[in-house]
Amino acid sequence: MPDIVVYIFVALTLIGGLMAAFARQVLNTIIGLGISLLGLAGLFLNLGSPFVAAMQVLIYIGGITVAIVFAMMLSISMSLLPPAPDTQKRIFAILSGIVFFVALCSMIMGTHFNIIPPAPESAWSVGQIGHALLTTYNLVFETLSLVLLLAIIGAILIARKDHPTP
Amino acid sequence: MTLHAYLLISLALFSLGLIGALSHRNLIALLIGVELMMNAASLNFMAFNRYVVTDPTVGQIFVLIIIGLAAAEVAIFLSIILRLYRAYHDIDSEKLTELKG
Repeated sequence: MPDIVVYIFVALTLIGGLMAAFARQVLNTIIGLGISLLGLAGLFLNLGSPFVAAMQVLIYIGGITVAIVFAMMLSISMSLLPPAPDTQKRIFAILSGIVFFVALCSMIMGTHFNIIPPAPESAWSVGQIGHALLTTYNLVFETLSLVLLLAIIGAILIARKDHPTP
Repeated sequence: MTLHAYLLISLALFSLGLIGALSHRNLIALLIGVELMMNAASLNFMAFNRYVVTDPTVGQIFVLIIIGLAAAEVAIFLSIILRLYRAYHDIDSEKLTELKG
């Protein structure tokens, strides 16, 4: 992938993150999240995994972001302005973010990683992922499916209207 | 792009998610901050998977599981938000203080 395209994806990721962190309207933060996820999918593509990038676009952008938009439409009257931001809270949030960034940045810069050459093309195929999911990581796969089933049942139970007990 | 560049990008994304989760008052905007942090974690997994690990299958499976768990988390969170809205007609985190001692 040419360098300029990678830099565009990096810029998308960071601009989307900035929008999500600082926008005042809730809809704008959701759009920022979508932009950031799109940039991340491009970075995954650059890191050699088209399958995970496709799943990111399908599940995150196509599923989760849309679900959040639906919940927003059901819960907030969109014509109303959001309440004024609490300046003190915002200052403390930005300060803690900066402290966190500087601390971990110095740690990352001081660490030497043992970089190895990339694995051959065949090790990155979707077939390898599927094989590993059904053999070595079978337990994780089944547990995840159970968690998703429980999440569906729980979401229906929590969100349904209360019926009067007979 | 080196491994350090990817780590710095994901660190910046995590910090932005932290700022969003701490500063917003709306519950949905707070959820979006948490989502940004999860995505920073998965970018970290993919970067290490490409540059440090010998078998690249492991990191991809990790990221797929993070995506699946995020879907489950969002489903539960949104249903709680709808429930709260039906009960209190507001999802401002500063006003939901009934359990405050």
